[in-house]
Amino acid sequence: MMTMLGILFGSVTWSATFRLSTPIILTSVGGSFNKHTGVFCIAFECFMLSAAFFAAWGSYLTGSPYMGTLFAILAGLLLAAIFGMFVLNFKANPMIVSIAMNFGAWAVTTLLLTEIFGVRGYFHSPKIVNFSPIDIPVLREIPYINEVLNNQIILVYIAYISVVVGTIIMYKTPFGLRLRTIGINEIGAQTAGVNILKYKWIGLAIMGIMSGLGGAYLPLSGLSMFSENMSSGRGFLAFAAILVSKGNPVKAALISILFAYTNALTFTLTSYGIPSQLLQMFPFIAVIIVLMIGNLRNLSLTPVIEASE
Amino acid sequence: MKLEINGEAKSAMLKYCISIGLTLVFGCILITAQGEKPLRAMGYILQGSFGSVMNIGNTIRWIISSLLVGAAATIAFKSGVANMGIEGQIYIGALSAAVIGYSIELPPGLHAIACLLVASIMGMLYALIPALLRLYFKINELITTLVLNFIAKDLTEYITMWVIMGGQQAANGSASIATPRILKSAQLPIIIKSTTANIGIFIALAVLLIVAFFYKYTLEGYELTQIGQNMNFARMGGVNITRSFLMAFLISGFISGLCGGIEITGAYYRFTSSFSNNLGWDGIMIARVSNNNPIAVIFVSIIWGGLKQGAMNMERMTSLNRLIVIIIQMLFVLFVSIDYDSIINKWKSKMELKKPDYNGGMNI
Repeated sequence: MMTMLGILFGSVTWSATFRLSTPIILTSVGGSFNKHTGVFCIAFECFMLSAAFFAAWGSYLTGSPYMGTLFAILAGLLLAAIFGMFVLNFKANPMIVSIAMNFGAWAVTTLLLTEIFGVRGYFHSPKIVNFSPIDIPVLREIPYINEVLNNQIILVYIAYISVVVGTIIMYKTPFGLRLRTIGINEIGAQTAGVNILKYKWIGLAIMGIMSGLGGAYLPLSGLSMFSENMSSGRGFLAFAAILVSKGNPVKAALISILFAYTNALTFTLTSYGIPSQLLQMFPFIAVIIVLMIGNLRNLSLTPVIEASE
Repeated sequence: MKLEINGEAKSAMLKYCISIGLTLVFGCILITAQGEKPLRAMGYILQGSFGSVMNIGNTIRWIISSLLVGAAATIAFKSGVANMGIEGQIYIGALSAAVIGYSIELPPGLHAIACLLVASIMGMLYALIPALLRLYFKINELITTLVLNFIAKDLTEYITMWVIMGGQQAANGSASIATPRILKSAQLPIIIKSTTANIGIFIALAVLLIVAFFYKYTLEGYELTQIGQNMNFARMGGVNITRSFLMAFLISGFISGLCGGIEITGAYYRFTSSFSNNLGWDGIMIARVSNNNPIAVIFVSIIWGGLKQGAMNMERMTSLNRLIVIIIQMLFVLFVSIDYDSIINKWKSKMELKKPDYNGGMNI
């Protein structure tokens, strides 16, 4: 019993949760801005995977994780621009563009892995310099909090700061108001003089930058490696968080933390002999449960289909 | 009416010609950048896919799965069901086929049919989960099916490793997680010797033809098409949307499960964890490229299967990686998805004030 409590509430689990939620939070906060402009996108897997590759490559080339992150952000921006070009300018179906980009990103990163590093599967090198943990002196005195919150890398703190900043921008500034208006009523926003296309592009750019940051976390958080299909469904988890939270950064972050928590339990529970395949299912089952709870008020015993939102 | 059809056909023709042209240009650039001659690479792809009877046989083996996933996706998207879970349904179907295939003894023929039937039904039941979630909780099936893909992948791996293999093969990598080989009686007959081309091709073609017939000539098919085009309009027209939606979802799952079953009984003969290699996504792309037209799916599948088989030959004969073919395929999908009509119309009306249509990205 005590061990169970130790697993569920222990500092190890929560420290891992705090850490692992970073890529999903960053991506979902960025995607929230995009969601409010009404541009449908599930290409987060593409952005994160490519960003992860370029982060690893940038760090390998320059020996600095910050340069690697810059590479990742640029990659995210570029891919978001390609996505925007196809969807906004060429009027392509956003779903099919997303799928093609997700799939293409896997092929391109795997190809680049063999072309640049000459390996298949994964590339591990100490030359991929990680972010080093930051020691915050204030936290050192507090026992439990210290173990959970202290000594994390900078991207973790950026993720949580971005939730606050994102919420303020989205709900307290004229920019955020205009952005949200587009999602609520596009024609209304246009009538009110909002340059819709400009705001959609800004939303896409924010999404690209944030997904880039989220992707950069993956290779630079201490692993020093890039592996094939490294994002492994995190992009879809971020998409689920955005969808459930309806684009509210705080809610999106909370849901991301839940996903990360189920993921963190995997690490602690595997040592107790529970099959890893079952544990890997946890975050995805959590998505479905969250969706069911979130839609509980829609529950009707007579099945009715409405045109999807 | 006739003029309209001609106009549509013309714009479709234009669309495919431009996209093929663009893909060829970008593909050539990509291949040249890798230091190879594009024509040589294409020659090897063609040789590898249709060059000899054996190559054709192996190509057919890939065409089968492309046809079936294409059919599953076409049914879903034509009827307004965003079934992204084809991949997961394939996994569930494949595992059930493998289990029936090795654990039960039945006369040949009957055994294979039993495998395929169980696979299809399991795929259908797996599609029932997101369908019910949509019906009762109004959860968009897009996200549930996406997530169920991952669950199916892990679940089948878990069952294979811990239930079937008894947890023996720990830490040996996922390639070694596999069920026992299915019995001879459960294997689909081969139609071309020393290849894996099996009679699944006839099943797949039959499925597609039935689908084409169903949408073109039956009332239910017409109702489903209507729902796909405009759900509210269909409701006003008196279509029982709930029933039709469920039906489309289940048929899509049924065919996905069948695809998984045929993959196992016709080609792999055993279930291996993560065997499918994104087959489900292929289906969605095939359906989209062929504009949800079942007959066009056949042609696109031939190209898809040929590329899959030919890419391996290209990799053997040149210094190119076979991933390059996947990248070129993705470029093709991207270019086909472009709405050329609206771009051309925009050019035409450039004399007017620049007022782009801001609806891009709204409709899924």
